Amino acid sequence: MKSTQYSEKVLDHFRNPRNVGTLEGDDVAWGEVGNPVCGDLMKMYIQVEDDKIADIKFQTFGCGSAIATSSMVTEMVKGKTLDEALKVTRQDVADELDGLPPIKMHCSNLAADALHEAIKNYRGKKTKAVLPLIQATTGSAKWLAGEKEFLGRGVYHTVDDFAPFQDKRVMVVDRGPKSLEIALELTKHTGRVIVVTPAKTISSTGADLATNIKQSDIKIIYESEPLEVRGSDEVEKVLVHDLDEDEEYELFVDAIIILK
Amino acid sequence: MSSYIDYQSAKPLDPRVIEAMLPYFHERFGNPSSLHGEGDEATKVVEACRRTISGFINAEPDEIIFTSGATESNNLALIGYASRNKAKGNHLIISEVEHISLHNIAKLLEKDGFVVSKLPVDQYGKVSVQKLASRITPETILISIGYASNEIGTVQPIAEIGRLAREKGIAFHSDAVAAEGLIPLDVTRDTIDLLTLSSNDIYGPQGVGVLYVRKGMRLNPLIIGGGQERGVRSGTENIAGIVGMSTAAEIMGREMEGEVKRLAQYRDKLIKAILERIPKSHLNGHPTDRLANNAHFRFEAIEGESLLLSLKDAGVSAATGSACSSKTLEPSHTLISTGLLHEEAHGSLEFTFGRFNKEEDVDRVIEVLPPIVERLRKLSPLYTEEVPA
Repeated sequence: MKSTQYSEKVLDHFRNPRNVGTLEGDDVAWGEVGNPVCGDLMKMYIQVEDDKIADIKFQTFGCGSAIATSSMVTEMVKGKTLDEALKVTRQDVADELDGLPPIKMHCSNLAADALHEAIKNYRGKKTKAVLPLIQATTGSAKWLAGEKEFLGRGVYHTVDDFAPFQDKRVMVVDRGPKSLEIALELTKHTGRVIVVTPAKTISSTGADLATNIKQSDIKIIYESEPLEVRGSDEVEKVLVHDLDEDEEYELFVDAIIILK
Repeated sequence: MSSYIDYQSAKPLDPRVIEAMLPYFHERFGNPSSLHGEGDEATKVVEACRRTISGFINAEPDEIIFTSGATESNNLALIGYASRNKAKGNHLIISEVEHISLHNIAKLLEKDGFVVSKLPVDQYGKVSVQKLASRITPETILISIGYASNEIGTVQPIAEIGRLAREKGIAFHSDAVAAEGLIPLDVTRDTIDLLTLSSNDIYGPQGVGVLYVRKGMRLNPLIIGGGQERGVRSGTENIAGIVGMSTAAEIMGREMEGEVKRLAQYRDKLIKAILERIPKSHLNGHPTDRLANNAHFRFEAIEGESLLLSLKDAGVSAATGSACSSKTLEPSHTLISTGLLHEEAHGSLEFTFGRFNKEEDVDRVIEVLPPIVERLRKLSPLYTEEVPA
């Protein structure tokens, strides 16, 4: 079965998704589930009255079945008690959609998980904890694996001249406002600037700087840290650790700036 | 009425090719190995086709080996050459953006004791000849770099790579499947030693392909049998297929120049309109050194399979490098090699134009794609987060 051989019900929910959007208010909680393999992301919002789901909305970044399962689960649990809603499983959602292609059962059938997360968060009277901004102090960070080996061959500790970065893929490790200013300046010299930060947001680095960065073409990788610099005789890639999902992956770059 | 704009994945046969093939299924069925009139005629036909195809790439007729297709040609080039020449060295170089068949062949060779370096590419998917030179060791026996990417359309500096390989006395193989029919191929000018061609990619039938093997190159056969194709590839010749491929090459040789101009106009019109009309959209691949038929985009905060499903509803067939649409649930290795994150490869969308497209196909995409992207972004938690109202 091809990954896109969907039932009519899946296609209907994909074409006309129910309950799209967000909710706000004191009686609202939300849950979020991401798929570390491919980047799918689902957010499920519930509004609770008398221990029942009075309203429910979702937002999903993902494939056809990711969108359809999100839509279906909102229809299945609207009006149900929280305990009833907790009993809805991934399999129930798939069954209600007349089945999903086998390959999609695990990767894009996360809507029930996002719902359960929202209910837990409601009961815990909190949404997912927001990590405080972590900022390494200049100079004290320990050396990455491969950092010394590639120093001068793609690893930079200072930036005096932007010419070497012309048209290069440059990763800038967040070491506070100075490193972010360098990232902004780099966008004048190359189309590919990536900032890696352990923080969940960069807003506390100064309002103007954060706004400028968000409006720029800089790609920000939140809640992540570089682990290792890799290459042959020059930097070719960086091993990145996703702190939120606890996943590691390689990213191809030509240079990495780690202010010391 | 639907618009098929996925010519890199499969092409229809040109009706003129089908017509040329038909007699060889019934009236002219001889086996070239037979010593009678029917057999002699079959030999003549195969040799004429060999001449035609050698002309298509500026080679000699006896340098053309017929195979079952590009995958077999790639296998024969790498495994056949490496196993025959391992006394000379155990090192091969390929690039990160090669077709998946070459990556998997490389894995097999590594199990057999060969060392395979994978040359990284720049953000446009292009190989650096300087970096390639730095990877060459005294053990290097073969360099394999595809002529152009079938995914993002980036064209490699093949002539320079050919010169370098020849200078260093290293064999040079190029998989030209994505480029054939879009770029005039010349193995003599570009000093290529082994070249992979497919029939379907020039509007010929599937199930037939070619490996060009420069005179003097020694390969071990992978298919052993009656010694056809100078013993390098046994098996009774697929005459109808060979006639089809040869006819396709003949037509392509005549019509490529005009066809490429027309396809490049479609490509340029589409790229300009999409980047202008859809915010947060990007072009993947090289801005100028790209195949005339290839427009490869990525859209932030949405996913490629959703795009394909929506385009299908709107009567457009395209492709994506998203993990969600692959058998392995891995994103396209080509997109990752250019430095994209998984979530960015997620939102990729590829259009490849071909012989039977018309301008109205381009116009249809320009009309239907912007609202599709907008609808999917309304569903996406990433888009609302990233763009403050």
